[in-house]
Amino acid sequence: MSKRVNAGFNLKFMILLLLCSLLTGCWDRMEIEERAVVLGISIDSAGKDAEIREDEISHLRGKYPAPKQEMIQLSVQIALPGRIPLGPGEGGASGEGAQETVWVLDVVGHTVDDAMMNLQQQISGKLFFGHLRVIVVSEEFARKGMENLNDYLHRNAEVRRMAWLMVSKGKARELMEAAPKLERVPALYLSSTLDDAVKHGKFPSDYIGTFWNNSSKKGQEGFLPYIQIMKGDNVEISGMAFFKGATLVGVTKPFEIAGYLVIKGISPAGYRGIIHVGDDSQVVTIHATNRESEIKVDIKNGLPHFTITAVTEVNVEEKNTETLPLNNSHILEEIARENERSVKELMLGLIQKTQKKESDIFGFGELVRARKPSYWNSHVKTADRWSEIYKHTTFDFRVTSKVRRVGMKAE
Amino acid sequence: MNEQRQITVLQASAITISTIVGVGVLALPLSAVKAADAGAPFVTFLGMLLAFVGLFFMTRLGMRFPNDSYVEYTEVIIGKWFGRIASLVSIGFFAVLTSLVAREFGEVVVTAVLKNTPLEVTVLVMLLLAAFSSRRNIMTFAYIHLFYSPFILIPALLIVALSLKNADLVNVLPLWGNEPGGIPAGIITLSTVFQGYFIMMMVIPAMCKPERAMRSSLWAMVVTGALYILIVAATVGVFGAEETKKLLWPTLELAKATSLPANVLERLDAVFLAVWVTAVFTSLFSCYYFTLYSISKLFRLADHGMLSFFILPFLFVLAMLPQSLIQLNEVNGMISKYGLLITIAYPGILLIIAILRKKRGAAK
Repeated sequence: MSKRVNAGFNLKFMILLLLCSLLTGCWDRMEIEERAVVLGISIDSAGKDAEIREDEISHLRGKYPAPKQEMIQLSVQIALPGRIPLGPGEGGASGEGAQETVWVLDVVGHTVDDAMMNLQQQISGKLFFGHLRVIVVSEEFARKGMENLNDYLHRNAEVRRMAWLMVSKGKARELMEAAPKLERVPALYLSSTLDDAVKHGKFPSDYIGTFWNNSSKKGQEGFLPYIQIMKGDNVEISGMAFFKGATLVGVTKPFEIAGYLVIKGISPAGYRGIIHVGDDSQVVTIHATNRESEIKVDIKNGLPHFTITAVTEVNVEEKNTETLPLNNSHILEEIARENERSVKELMLGLIQKTQKKESDIFGFGELVRARKPSYWNSHVKTADRWSEIYKHTTFDFRVTSKVRRVGMKAE
Repeated sequence: MNEQRQITVLQASAITISTIVGVGVLALPLSAVKAADAGAPFVTFLGMLLAFVGLFFMTRLGMRFPNDSYVEYTEVIIGKWFGRIASLVSIGFFAVLTSLVAREFGEVVVTAVLKNTPLEVTVLVMLLLAAFSSRRNIMTFAYIHLFYSPFILIPALLIVALSLKNADLVNVLPLWGNEPGGIPAGIITLSTVFQGYFIMMMVIPAMCKPERAMRSSLWAMVVTGALYILIVAATVGVFGAEETKKLLWPTLELAKATSLPANVLERLDAVFLAVWVTAVFTSLFSCYYFTLYSISKLFRLADHGMLSFFILPFLFVLAMLPQSLIQLNEVNGMISKYGLLITIAYPGILLIIAILRKKRGAAK
């Protein structure tokens, strides 16, 4: 009898416990309307009048003195709740331009956090970086060094490592305001431009996390996509911006990205090249499809020597004159040989460019550290020392190119 | 002794595994790269070996006295009063360890996930959860651990496997790192992350076949060792040693940088944190239970249940003492290092004395 009473009590207790779980909530609950979802950030060096424009928000003259750093201009792209289309069928009402999905604001500040504080003072919602996709910095700002920006983003727990950081030619702010037609949300267009470039073999995968990893390595430097605004608010990837530490030291040409991809052996390949065959009036365009590479390191005369063995597979895409026959394998071999020569030149040119600026974006130093630890420990040890040695390292190239296909046309 | 002796070899391994895998996982690669940069996986392996020495001593001792708790056989081996003092010191250590686990959990949650929730609340909730669960007997304890261990191991391995696609072999070469001078000290630091194995001392007297305890110890060490080495190798492989040094919780960052194939989930940190909360709960539960168990054995109490809430306020206050995360880490590092005296040296000495004095417990 008493057992039954006990069971009944237990049941009631259980129900009570379960009911309690309905009363729970979340301490950190925050409605989407209360959030200012930041999709993109751009950073420029501010002009001379910036000091006057700034209010005393995070500092007070004489009491909490402002930092002596040069001022920056920070713009953000904030998503407008309810305006971002969630599916293909939604929000198709005509007349609403893409511009209206986001709100672009800009502020000035001494440091990144200072600028964010100034911005937060103007915005009702709390700035939220969980959906941050692109950070654009201007070339001018990057040349002064980005330690402060890197530190801010590193510390912020909301920022994802898979956002894109890029360097813009000219004002970075323009990229925040640009409204490309292909995508309703401008920041998403920017990030998908880069994502697609990776997918099509036009740029190595280089998220902000990768950039940080590379920059902090002792035997490697970071690089970032260098972009430029074009006609119709479009963007073009116009090269790689390479760094020494956190400071931008140089920019490559767009085609030199292909050189980087060959050295690293990143597939799929996506670049097209022009090959001169016979006399100079005859050219064919080739399209690289596949790359492979292997880098070996030896120590020669007390300096690292690298042997880069690269294989590229190419297809012929077009020719400019009818007289050039593409009907036997000899001519294809000639094209391959000519391509091998060009690729070698391309690689050498790119490496020399980075050697001059002491910026080893390929991670040759890491190879030395990993494969020749005794040399590294006795001669290199620090990142500074490596960048000095990198200037004097020598290279051998073994490039093989194979023409595989000529398309749907016979002859 | 009217306690159930039903814990199987599998359950004993599961208890040890889920006790060892806990808060430490988040910062594990950081201490490994600090010790040996690119040689981090190697130093983790060496740390595991050192930890296994301690576990070996403990298991051997437990098998010599299959019926007694460690508090009881200490008194047999080194005399009543020495034994009691030594047990009191160890109890103090386990209590501090419990509160540090709770506090570290709170710090991670407040920094990375629930920024507005007060630290006190997260710590208290976790301690309460452990306190409630600790009122039960040792069989319930074993079942809880056995139930949760696959939920810890499988997703953790999955995240590691998925992150490996971004890893680069060059980052974990050369095997012994570029500055091998830090390895000896690193072994000691790394062995502290395996400290949870002390739970075997409590498990052996409850095993149905204590003579097979060594087998479960071995399994537990192999599984946690493999998991930890994989986590370290994946983290260093993805970030490189230098970047890992800059990250407070590299493993969490690894989960953040990893996505499921086909972008089903763009970042796995949410999944990882869910796993991690489970892992923290099981270790906290073990530490809490162990502290209770030791106290009740020391004072010869029939049941430890009533103590459960009695020690809660003390642990809570202890957990709240460090002023900042940095201070917490300093205290944590110090306590764990001195803790090696309790978890490796002390059982070793006990074992040697027991062998020399030919002390042995009654067979089961």
